[in-house]
Amino acid sequence: MSSDAVSEVASSVSRGRPSVGWALLGSEISVLFRRRRTWAMLAVLALVPILIAIAVRVTRSTPNGGRGPAFLDQVTQNGLFVGVVGVLISIPLFLPLTVGVVAGDSIAGEASAGTLRYLLIAPVGRVRLLIVKYLAAAVFCLAATLAVVVAGTLIGIALFPVGPATLLSGDVIGVPETLIRSLLVSVYVTISLLGLSAIGLFISTLTDVPVGAMAATIVLSVVSQVLDSIPQLDWLHPWLFTHYWLGVGDLLRQPISWDSFGSNSVLQAAYIVLFGALAYGRFSTKDVLS
Amino acid sequence: MNRLVLRWVPTALATAVIASVAIAVPVAANAAVDLPAKTPQQVLELVGQSSVKDFSGTVEQSSKLGLPALPMTGTGANSSASSALSVLAGSYTARVYVDGATRTRFQIMDKLAERDVVKNGSDVWLYDSSAKTATHSTLPASTHDGSVPTPGTEQTPAQLAQRFLAAADSTTKVTVGADTRVAGRTAYDLILAPRASDTLISSVSIAVDSETGLPLSVGLFARGQHDPAFSLAFSSLSLQTPAANLFDFTPPAGVTVKQQTVPQSDLKKPTGSAPQHTVVGTGWDAVLVLPASTEITTLTSSPLFSELTNSVTGGRVLHTALVNVFFASDGRVLAGSVSPERLEAVASSR
Repeated sequence: MSSDAVSEVASSVSRGRPSVGWALLGSEISVLFRRRRTWAMLAVLALVPILIAIAVRVTRSTPNGGRGPAFLDQVTQNGLFVGVVGVLISIPLFLPLTVGVVAGDSIAGEASAGTLRYLLIAPVGRVRLLIVKYLAAAVFCLAATLAVVVAGTLIGIALFPVGPATLLSGDVIGVPETLIRSLLVSVYVTISLLGLSAIGLFISTLTDVPVGAMAATIVLSVVSQVLDSIPQLDWLHPWLFTHYWLGVGDLLRQPISWDSFGSNSVLQAAYIVLFGALAYGRFSTKDVLS
Repeated sequence: MNRLVLRWVPTALATAVIASVAIAVPVAANAAVDLPAKTPQQVLELVGQSSVKDFSGTVEQSSKLGLPALPMTGTGANSSASSALSVLAGSYTARVYVDGATRTRFQIMDKLAERDVVKNGSDVWLYDSSAKTATHSTLPASTHDGSVPTPGTEQTPAQLAQRFLAAADSTTKVTVGADTRVAGRTAYDLILAPRASDTLISSVSIAVDSETGLPLSVGLFARGQHDPAFSLAFSSLSLQTPAANLFDFTPPAGVTVKQQTVPQSDLKKPTGSAPQHTVVGTGWDAVLVLPASTEITTLTSSPLFSELTNSVTGGRVLHTALVNVFFASDGRVLAGSVSPERLEAVASSR
């Protein structure tokens, strides 16, 4: 957090405002979205569906059935699903990459910049600081997902005809329902990333080197996905935080299958509780030296 | 010191809560069930009197046949080797919608893909979302009341259970096991066991809904295995009539539509064009003998074949928990739920 945010927090406290942490959260989010790095990451994410749409448009060839990610082959008839295709491509790597950067940087970044000390001198409890840092990371998860979905939907409308969309079940839905499904997909993917954010927050309390925390978080998300693809470990799969990431496809069936939505939410909540508690255990008595 | 301990209290609490929920939920689902005792005959009558015509639910099929497993990554699962194995291993989750005998919909939910079988009256659509194909066939009028003709797949536990119950004869011992709970419903456990001891199958367990008599799950147990080698079970079930528009299927744009006519003879024999086979023996330890054919030669020449089979004298053996298949070097194929030695003995005696 930069020094102006610290002064903002300090001033809000000195003015005697009822301090419930909203001011701190607001300043944390505004700091996050004032960073050039945040916007660069969102721009790269938005580029994913835009590049897909341009590539499909320029080559003008309909991808063969069975090749490429699901829904890519119907993009030429219906541009609305470009956002969904973009999200499906971004889930395994691009989204965890950016979330790992934000979550891994949350505490370690302050420590390495030497601002953590000042933050804690202001009457901000360590617990509240952790919660605010986590909520800011969660807001970034939503922003990152929406960057892909909204950019994809807009470029799809610009480059391709807009019409009814075909679901995995072969049923066809109209334009309003397509937009609702895209929104549901965004919600699902945002929830999917919350567990990873909690892990990143915990790792971030372990070190003063933000790059290390970012890398460790991203590596964990890859390791989890690799473990998830090894059938001999199927007893472990329901416990991996990446297990339901591609279950987002269940929202694109007719009727919607909510099973993986529920399982995913419970699993991510468990990760948030566990790693939130771990982060508290580590951070509440951590010696802040920098 | 006190502070050092206190700071880890939330972690300990979180771990305890997560662990207790993870343990409590399966325990609650399997809580002891105590139903009025019934004899095997009474449970069989319960199945026979079952009048459930409309239902929808989720069905899970799983098999642990002892075949080698390949990685099934989200995006890499479409490689030919692993998809061939997934057909053999046959584990999937599917949703089933049934409205009377004439309208059914079966959705196999693959990762980011789906295979649908929609039957509405005499129209049957097969839809494959990853291959982008829709196949339409019209059933002959006489078979309207029959089950959906999808070769090789039993769709609901009820259909599979009926097949086992129909085949149960004097070689089968029928008992009732401990009451169970399947898909949140209480059920009687009907156990069919072969009287012969030389089969690979030790028993077939059929959970029969105590209220409606609908078979809820079928499990095949191999000798020496604790978990079922094959199971097909409802994980959720609703006895309400599904929405009517689920059965109206129109192939979406951009899909290859194929028309297929179903000859009457194919329906009677789902294996259709398979070469003439003979069956040696009766009951559980019967052995199926297929004569040499070009299909078998194509199969045995694939590289995957030698990976899956073991060399024995006189041919190769595909060993699974429930079935052994003996590919004799003269091209014949023998299959049965018996030991490879018995298959070899049958092969050499004929």
